Amino acid sequence: MLALIIRRLLTAIPTLFGIILASFFLMRAAPGGPFDGERPLPPDVQEALRASYGLDRPLWEQAWIYVSRLLRGDFGPSLVYRDFTVTELVAQGLPISLTLGGLAIALALLIGITAGLFAAVSAGKAADKSIMMLATIATALPTFVTGPALALFFGLWLGLLPVSGRGDGIAWLVMPVVALALPVSGAIAKLTRAGLATVLKQDHIRTARARGLSEKKILFKHGLRPALVPVASYLGPAAAGLLTGAVVVETVFGLPGLGRYFVQGALNRDYPLVLGVVTLYAGLIILFNLFADLIYGWLDPRMREE
Amino acid sequence: MRSLLHPNHWPLWIVIMLVAAALLLPFVIPWTYDQIDWDAVRAPAFTGSHLLGTDEIGRDRLARLAAGTRITIMVAIAAALVSLVVGIAWGATAGWVGGKIDEAMMRFVDALYALPFMFIVILLMVIFGRSILLVFVGIGLVEWLTMARVVRGQVMALKQRPFILAAEAAGTKPLTIVIKHILPNIAGVALAYLMLTVPQVVMVESFLSFLGLGVQEPLTSLGILVKEGADDMDVTPLGLLLPGGALVLILVCLTIEGERLRDKYS
Repeated sequence: MLALIIRRLLTAIPTLFGIILASFFLMRAAPGGPFDGERPLPPDVQEALRASYGLDRPLWEQAWIYVSRLLRGDFGPSLVYRDFTVTELVAQGLPISLTLGGLAIALALLIGITAGLFAAVSAGKAADKSIMMLATIATALPTFVTGPALALFFGLWLGLLPVSGRGDGIAWLVMPVVALALPVSGAIAKLTRAGLATVLKQDHIRTARARGLSEKKILFKHGLRPALVPVASYLGPAAAGLLTGAVVVETVFGLPGLGRYFVQGALNRDYPLVLGVVTLYAGLIILFNLFADLIYGWLDPRMREE
Repeated sequence: MRSLLHPNHWPLWIVIMLVAAALLLPFVIPWTYDQIDWDAVRAPAFTGSHLLGTDEIGRDRLARLAAGTRITIMVAIAAALVSLVVGIAWGATAGWVGGKIDEAMMRFVDALYALPFMFIVILLMVIFGRSILLVFVGIGLVEWLTMARVVRGQVMALKQRPFILAAEAAGTKPLTIVIKHILPNIAGVALAYLMLTVPQVVMVESFLSFLGLGVQEPLTSLGILVKEGADDMDVTPLGLLLPGGALVLILVCLTIEGERLRDKYS
């Protein structure tokens, strides 16, 4: 297992560098620069600013400087939020995005697996069909509609939850997390239902039945674990989906997470900020895929790599 | 064609009716989607000739809803077709040629699958301006991966069938075999996945437009309308609920229809 982790981390390094360099040159191919705000600065001031941030050097040299700084853990200065370094901004945003994403995936797993279980147990009945219909509807719900709609109902009309920003306590987390979790929980419910349907037909379940085990024991002890393998392999794409969803949810609910910095940074041509966020996102997704692989092996011993 | 009339196809018919309404409404409504009625800013529903009221600068809400639906569906169909063409070309080539080339082509697809695509699309949109052409080319180029995988599998299975072997033995050119004998046989599956690609594309387009990176003013799309409605929802909730509802209805119906088609063919 340790060997698997080490091997994965080693292959992650070139991937990460590829993504960083690709985004670096992509960003630079864009017209416009970080200093053309609404009131254009005089040319000599712009020149001086560019020189002080090293933007006047050849592109490959800038890329080299960026990467070597990154290796020392320095994400560089933000070109637009000039009082902050990217490290400071990212350190502010990361906990918010991680909390949102982590809670959303936990909630989605809880709802999805429970719903999938119920559907599989009552296979073919009305309950099964309605749960699966609800799951399909949930997967088709875009966060940028459910987010504002939730804010409208529970925030503005019922006044139960805060509409934007972070208050005290955890009330501010409820709507963003629910909006993020809904589509993922639909997909997980479907995967659980399909996984259980296959597993419950297998020989070891029939053997368990023949030995007179209770249905409950069969389901939870012998059925659920192998049935969750497809769910585990969905966790990687789900994490990527949650991070993109977080971009919208953070914008809708006015939360200063990574996603907002990404979009703002890209629009303002704040090169180091965008690169910093991309690096973190890529790292998170790689880590999450590794984590999913480990769960995979735990759920189904046959999948464990030698 | 007759099977399309079966009640099971209700989701498809809802979408068709929505699109038909969006296409026909401009001939009925006295307002265009970008025309400002200075006498009726933020008018509630059923004010004069504004059936659904007006938005925060006095544009007819129904006309904007119709225009947004038209653009959203248009972008979705165009982008889905891009993904169809790229996916079929890539998948059919890999499946037909086989061997090392197939392996390399599919590795490439796997590698792309692993990338957080939305971020690359966002970067592309920011960087290369925001023309509507780019919106659907960009989205189409992202959404072809599943199509390529499915088509490749189908082609590989077909390649071993006697009628293809017979065509090869008769000396038919490979390109002719692929176009005349393979493609007609994968049309059903490709159609099912095309149907599932459309809601995905709708989702991506509205997502980008919501962030201000997709379709640009004065054109409008459901994503832009949702964004405008969300900004103004404390005053006129209709502005959010109408386009949001239309978007969700389209997405849900297309997804249900697509999943049914896919289950039928697999």
